[in-house]
Amino acid sequence: MRAFLPILIALGFFPTAIGAAEPTPKEAPAPAEQKGSVVRVNSTNQAYDFFRPWSKEAPFSRRGMGVLIDSDKILVTAELVANSDYIELERADGGEKATATVQVIDYEANLATLRSTDPKFLEGMQPLQTTTQVKTGDELEVLQLESNGTPVSTKALVTTIEVGKYALEDSGYLMFRMSCPLQFRENSFTLPIVKENRLAAFLMRFDSRSQTIDAISGPVIEHFLVESQHQPYRGFPRAGLGFSPTRDPQLRRYLKLQDTDGGVYVNQVDQSGPAAKAGVKEGDILVAIDHTQADPDGNYLHPVYGKLSITHLTTTEAYSGQSLMITVIRNGERQQLRVELFRRPVEDYAIEPYTMGKRPRYYILGGLVFQELTRQYLREWGANWLKEAPQRLVYYDRFQSDLFPDRRKIVILTQILPTENTVGYEQLSNLVVKKFNGRKLLNLDDFAEAAKNPIAGYHKIEFEEDPHEIYLDAKQVEEDAAQLQKTYSIPELRHL
Amino acid sequence: MTRRVVLVTFFFMVANAIAQIPKGVEIRKSLVRITTTSQEPDYKVPWNPGSMSVGVGAGFVIDGNRIMTNAHVVSNARFIVVEKEDDPQHYPATVQFIGHDCDLAVLRVLDKGFFQNTRPLTSGGIPAIESPVSVYGYPIGGERLSVTRGIISRIDFQTYTHSGIDSHLAVQIDAAINPGNSGGPVMQEGKVVGVAFQGYSGDVAQNVGYMIPTPVIRRFLKDISNGRYDGYVDLSLTYFKLVNPAERHALGLPDNEQGVMVSSVSSAGCSYGVLQQGDVLLTIDNLPIASDGFVQLDGERVEMPEIVERKFKADKVKLDILRDKKKRTVEMQLTGNWPYLMQANHYDSPPRFVLFGGLVFQPLSKNFMDAYQVEDMRLRYYYNFFVTDEIYKTHPEVIVLSNILPDPVNAYLSDLRFQIVDDINNKKVRTLEDMANAFAQKSDYYLIHFVGSARPAVLERSAVERARDRIIGNYNVQKEQFVEGGLFR
Repeated sequence: MRAFLPILIALGFFPTAIGAAEPTPKEAPAPAEQKGSVVRVNSTNQAYDFFRPWSKEAPFSRRGMGVLIDSDKILVTAELVANSDYIELERADGGEKATATVQVIDYEANLATLRSTDPKFLEGMQPLQTTTQVKTGDELEVLQLESNGTPVSTKALVTTIEVGKYALEDSGYLMFRMSCPLQFRENSFTLPIVKENRLAAFLMRFDSRSQTIDAISGPVIEHFLVESQHQPYRGFPRAGLGFSPTRDPQLRRYLKLQDTDGGVYVNQVDQSGPAAKAGVKEGDILVAIDHTQADPDGNYLHPVYGKLSITHLTTTEAYSGQSLMITVIRNGERQQLRVELFRRPVEDYAIEPYTMGKRPRYYILGGLVFQELTRQYLREWGANWLKEAPQRLVYYDRFQSDLFPDRRKIVILTQILPTENTVGYEQLSNLVVKKFNGRKLLNLDDFAEAAKNPIAGYHKIEFEEDPHEIYLDAKQVEEDAAQLQKTYSIPELRHL
Repeated sequence: MTRRVVLVTFFFMVANAIAQIPKGVEIRKSLVRITTTSQEPDYKVPWNPGSMSVGVGAGFVIDGNRIMTNAHVVSNARFIVVEKEDDPQHYPATVQFIGHDCDLAVLRVLDKGFFQNTRPLTSGGIPAIESPVSVYGYPIGGERLSVTRGIISRIDFQTYTHSGIDSHLAVQIDAAINPGNSGGPVMQEGKVVGVAFQGYSGDVAQNVGYMIPTPVIRRFLKDISNGRYDGYVDLSLTYFKLVNPAERHALGLPDNEQGVMVSSVSSAGCSYGVLQQGDVLLTIDNLPIASDGFVQLDGERVEMPEIVERKFKADKVKLDILRDKKKRTVEMQLTGNWPYLMQANHYDSPPRFVLFGGLVFQPLSKNFMDAYQVEDMRLRYYYNFFVTDEIYKTHPEVIVLSNILPDPVNAYLSDLRFQIVDDINNKKVRTLEDMANAFAQKSDYYLIHFVGSARPAVLERSAVERARDRIIGNYNVQKEQFVEGGLFR
């Protein structure tokens, strides 16, 4: 859950005392129509503890606001309900409560829809339409609720529209940056932002010092709502390539690019992504997507939002399942490649970039705890995990597409629960398993299989690094299993 | 989590007036005050001569008209002055031998008259735990010779912070020792039993000082006796203690608490081709190796590497091993292990670099990492795992685009800072020399590829030539490259 910490901190430092704020001149009672479109959402969330994968961390609550869409769907940000155990809706007008469940959730786009378990609960409320017509300089309204349920709105000035980082470090989508003197009201984040009574954005981050808002933009909301009609939900597509600018005239001359060509240098192609499948190669110059030209910085002119990164075309303007024509210059010649867009599911990565609402996989053998490496595990080292977590594992995560093109999972010995079987191994932790009982591992299931076949009565575990090999007495491990489980109060010795 | 504490060396950076000499202290015939003017290389501006500083340390006279002190007292020295207790004169001195891996140095004084009325000190053995010692030097807190007393607290392997990477025997004492004590003798019954050299700063631990014990001192003196310091040799392997019963049985060992397992063998060291991962080391020079890696030597339990610590370059070592459950005996000639020096502090040589088109290329090193505080993850990996993952096999020197002197010729390259050079004009770059040679080759353009997925950099020769004088002038560049030296040979 640490990924979301910056948001909590930002709100925690809010300058004004709770609840007691006088309306500032920029605030006004919200128009009556909006009052019937928002509900309070209280979510009790509990994340798995990746250091003790058999247990969950302490539960905590988040409060935010949801917007009624399409008569029965409540739209919220994904971080409000990530790892939720219990979600409660509360009517703004009367205070009645009902429970809700997550219908569709997209952690990358940071959006989710909820559904009330009581169909009558939302009766009398007005669904809100969405809009994408927002320009820099527009004045939007951020909706909040007073503790007595009275809606309040605060004016927010759109300053920047660009592709920016969302809640997860790898995902970037169209974002509205706004300047807004927002007051603290209850412990709420994830607030709707409207333009002319239409939902235009969702507050994602607020920096109280600079009084700026980063908001999930209308086009991302619309993409999510359209895609969530599809069964199964396919997510926001990604072309699966990285590029860098070609502004440098020396580089352009070497590549024999004309000044009118524009184009960006493709420096990374995800071998399992759509671009690779379409034949895009590292070193190609990407000059156009469909009929839109990319300038040497990788931008194009959007009719409403101005200059935007071309990634907006592949992630948000287009949907999974669609195809785009990508024009590249390779060895001085133009080529057109048809890219069938899709999103790689998170499970498809060697090292999962995030793991939410899912119990981590683990296997305990004689006190040795084995897990598949995930970024969520590395995040357990805290906000500074890039420096604090074991550096080999951080490197593996960062360069996983180069290092593990076969997308095998990385099985690691995470820690030791000391028993008689582990005498002399107490200091070992965070070692990458190379082989187990002579078998190369693609994932933890392979590990479980290999555990059935000890070599001459011994489990032989080989690591990528020192000490390179250790052994366990297979019979002893089996005999001691129940005692181990009891000693350390572990509900089950494996979860696959 | 291990708590990280910082050991500091006891050299203090203040220039001081000469001390008056207390009468009646016998040591004054042997003790020397050393004032060093040093110049620290500037890795961020490698053509600069570096910043100067003056520091004070101690030393003592040994046989052969020599002065012994710590390497860190005279590292990067440009001018050294020694003073005696009873003599107002300042004598210029030079470094004759310096061992950065053991933090010891021997100085010569040009004026032979210096050694008149001096008394060379002789060395004793390793003092017993709890026995009293006296520490002499010129620590902070006053001008004159200072004496402090304490007892021997502990004898153990310690990292020598001067190189930052070498571990040798060190003796912990509880006498107050402070900056300025460095290089001074620690005495017991009229003999030198150690050289004071490092400790913890007061906010970490109280009364914890360390001295270099006589086995290390004697080894240094013997090593230089042939007119050259070769430094320590190494088995160049890591081993794992064999205390787990299942592991012992699986490897075919009885429960006799003997033997350790080889976990990895460095390709650059002398064990390569002789020992392999999984071998069990049973004896070293006929001394049984206990399962925790200790051997019994001269009535003391010491860690196995201590046997090799006392040996010299080209000496031999004999090992009885168990491989595939069969006993065999191997012998090898000991050498150093150069790759690990990449992670050691370096002294007494200017930073190596190549400047081309305003781009500064430098080999990765400890000094480099300290100077730049690099965040780049690939670079940090190449540094941290240079030895363990044997990165030196493909990159004996990791050449980094370390800095860019902004100029029109490189206006669009700033995003490539801290990338590692892979090849130039499709020729692999393995060392800084390769780099210099590639740029010396006449070519219309230089296409530089980096490790990983960065875009290439293109430098046109004509553009570089046009920019050359401009860059040299604007940035006061005194030298465009310094390639000599380096660890890999």
